[in-house]
Amino acid sequence: MDATTRRRWAIAGLTGPAYLWLALTVFLPLSAMFYFSFLTAAPIGGRVAAFTLEHYIAFFTKSVYWFNARRSLELGIHVTLACILIGYPAALVLAKQISGRWREALFLLIILPFWSNALVRTFSWTMVLRGDGLIGRMINPLLPAGWEFDLLFTYPAIVIGLVHAYLPYAILTIYISLQAIDDSFIEAARSLGASRLKAFRRITLPLSIPGVLAGIFLIFVPVIGSFMEPRILGGKNAIMLGPIIENQFVTAFNWPLGSALSFIMLGIVLLVLAIASPVVRRHLSVG
Amino acid sequence: MTANPGRWIGRTYLGLVLVFLYLPIAIMILMAFNRSALYELPFTFDTVWFEALAKNDRLLTASFNSVVIAAINAVIATTIGTLAALGLARYSFRGRRLLQLLLFPPITIPWLIIGTSMLVFFFWTGIGRGLHAILLGHVALSLPYVIVVVGARLASFGAQLEEAAATLGATPWQILRRVTAPILAPGIMAASLFAFAVSFDQFVISYFLAAPGTSTLPVEIYTSIRKGFTPEINAISSIIILVSMGLMMLVVRHFRFGGER
Amino acid sequence: MSRVEIAHLCKRYDSVTALDDVSIAFEDGEFFGLLGPSGSGKTTLLRALAGFVIPDSGTIRFDGQRVENVPVHRREIGMVFQNYALFPHLTVNENIAFGLSVRGRPRAETAKRVDAMLALVRLEGLGERKPRQLSGGQQQRVALARALVTDPKILLLDEPLGALDRRLRQEMQVELREIQRSTGITAVFVTHDQEEALTLSDRIAIIDRGRLIQIGPPRDVYERPATIFAAQFLGDTNLFQGIPDGESLKLSGGQVLRTAGPNAGAVVVRPEKIGVYPADATPTTDNRLDGEILQAIFSGASVTYRVRVPALGETPLLAFLQNQAGDVLAPGARVSLAWSAAHTVPVAS
Repeated sequence: MDATTRRRWAIAGLTGPAYLWLALTVFLPLSAMFYFSFLTAAPIGGRVAAFTLEHYIAFFTKSVYWFNARRSLELGIHVTLACILIGYPAALVLAKQISGRWREALFLLIILPFWSNALVRTFSWTMVLRGDGLIGRMINPLLPAGWEFDLLFTYPAIVIGLVHAYLPYAILTIYISLQAIDDSFIEAARSLGASRLKAFRRITLPLSIPGVLAGIFLIFVPVIGSFMEPRILGGKNAIMLGPIIENQFVTAFNWPLGSALSFIMLGIVLLVLAIASPVVRRHLSVG
Repeated sequence: MTANPGRWIGRTYLGLVLVFLYLPIAIMILMAFNRSALYELPFTFDTVWFEALAKNDRLLTASFNSVVIAAINAVIATTIGTLAALGLARYSFRGRRLLQLLLFPPITIPWLIIGTSMLVFFFWTGIGRGLHAILLGHVALSLPYVIVVVGARLASFGAQLEEAAATLGATPWQILRRVTAPILAPGIMAASLFAFAVSFDQFVISYFLAAPGTSTLPVEIYTSIRKGFTPEINAISSIIILVSMGLMMLVVRHFRFGGER
Repeated sequence: MSRVEIAHLCKRYDSVTALDDVSIAFEDGEFFGLLGPSGSGKTTLLRALAGFVIPDSGTIRFDGQRVENVPVHRREIGMVFQNYALFPHLTVNENIAFGLSVRGRPRAETAKRVDAMLALVRLEGLGERKPRQLSGGQQQRVALARALVTDPKILLLDEPLGALDRRLRQEMQVELREIQRSTGITAVFVTHDQEEALTLSDRIAIIDRGRLIQIGPPRDVYERPATIFAAQFLGDTNLFQGIPDGESLKLSGGQVLRTAGPNAGAVVVRPEKIGVYPADATPTTDNRLDGEILQAIFSGASVTYRVRVPALGETPLLAFLQNQAGDVLAPGARVSLAWSAAHTVPVAS
């Protein structure tokens, strides 16, 4: 066997198993689901199905789906925005004001909850937000009449839960890009006459955009596709695309419809991201 | 450099963020040790719920399933993931970029869609639902993380060491055993802990692929919550969160020391 | 020690030609330098000898046997990498012993050879240290010892002294040469530093864009460069172009230079061959041009003059002089430049 062939076999042997696994469990299934979305019924158990676009059309004609999609988009935007707005200052402080071992320790502390069990984390919020929970019991007696602290099963609860889940992501990506900005850039700007604020606006901010964009991308997508947090924290208020899709698969058993809605969701996400990135980039660049 | 008030504002802000991040977890753990089942104050320390947990067969079986699946997942994902990382890092070939890009979909596409598509495909092809299906799914989700973690470690010491070993007469197998593996070891450890954590905490995929009757811990917790809260869930949740955070600390420390060299 | 020959080696990467019909027969026991700018293909050539690069066509022979398809670990080569590539998890002893241990040699024999090697590179006593505890120069010697311990057919060195500072580099150059001479092994090294190539090599090959430009002993290549590129890459030079006329070159301003042989319109003169005299002096040399000093660069033992000479237009003429007299001519001074025909070397373009 000559060297080139040997090399080919080595490459195939090394990368083969992993990518075959991915093909079997991710790429083929996605294709299968795409295929399903065009069928009248799931071709399982001997049922014969015909090609149809009715599920995709249903999305555009039935107002309930539009409504849900809009709600999901709103949720995505609210959560992403909150994460970036809260996370940016935190990342800034961490990157610029704190140094040494404290920085590492704090960084670890921030990332840790992110890596804990998402379900359990969400569940823990139910205990904080409910009216008869710890906080509720402490605050309610102090609130004026007519006001009540009971956030469970409301839209704000969903937002809070999701922001809590994804805030570390935002801090992480923004921190990484801020860290890469050499202090000497700021010093150079100040020596040229820029005030602290100006230096931030014209040097730091534009250079940190990749981190912000990465954060947006990493947060927006999962939030749109979430169903567990809305269900647990929103209860009946969880009128969003995620829970509806889950419904199709688990309760209603209308898999073709669920498939179509899934790909529509994917399409929406990609569309929004494609539109958003140049806008964000332009807006935050030198100006 | 920064004016004094600026410093304090910054640190206070960071502190508030941390409080926000840890508040619910702290409360949950607190409540797990509270005797009252309904959040009544005052707080009385009691381990009664942990004892009840020990008798809750459903939760215990689910925990067992989770641990076993996570362990098997760690072994499989680390093995084939490390091989793939080696292939991608040490060889340049047409299509390498494509393969690297293909690692993105499993982690960037919403898990809801990945889970449902797996459900569809597995049912259609007869693989069906159950613990085996869950394992298939978990490995797929762990693979990108393993490949990235191990790949980063491989990149840090470059192909030169392996080339040097080859010039000294070591066969590819000897190189793997005597040079690559020892130096890669910390990265592999970190990756396998990562894989374990990813699987153990995984909910969405497990939810769709679980067969009625058998499930993993997160799924079991979810169904219990939907049915009605029992304080044992509090107890097991506290345990889980402490375990997974502890695991992550291990990963970071290990990786840190491994990366130093 | 063995005969190593490469013949008509070609290698392309997509649209880039890394090696273009390169043929070299390495002499047994010589220290051979591959010199060229970045991207010239010299490293590709070295790695082809090692087996990391598989040529598209052409042959590589060790002792007459073709080795293009022999995998790296069976070629019996020794290689020193630019960053030494010492195994960080093994001690110095284990690093050096590696080549023997993967071949299954018995412990006792291995230990003896390792000790002998440590003595050869003058690192006795440091055997139990880890690489990160050694200085750059020491690491380099370990890398060398490791490569030599298996008695390889050929020693390959990839910019071996690149990572060292100037003084250390000069010391190592001498040591490297001595070690190579005492073991008698054929060594091929790659460098972009022409001074290093001149100092260390028995023979040099200049490579540019995959092609072999010139090959020969350092003195030959330096004094009689084959092309303009060779002349300009290896040291500084002054290039004169004009109309050939037998063994003369007619310059644009009317002056005529006597050349060392028939030329094709281009000749080069090395700066150290040019004498600088006051303008009214009349040295009796073959070639003489008048000029005005633009800049005098004093570097202690020598002086470099940049002189404006009409025949060269905008490009200043360079002249190196030893600082014998201790005085330096000032900018603006009018001078006469003189050199012999023998040093006016015709080159191909």
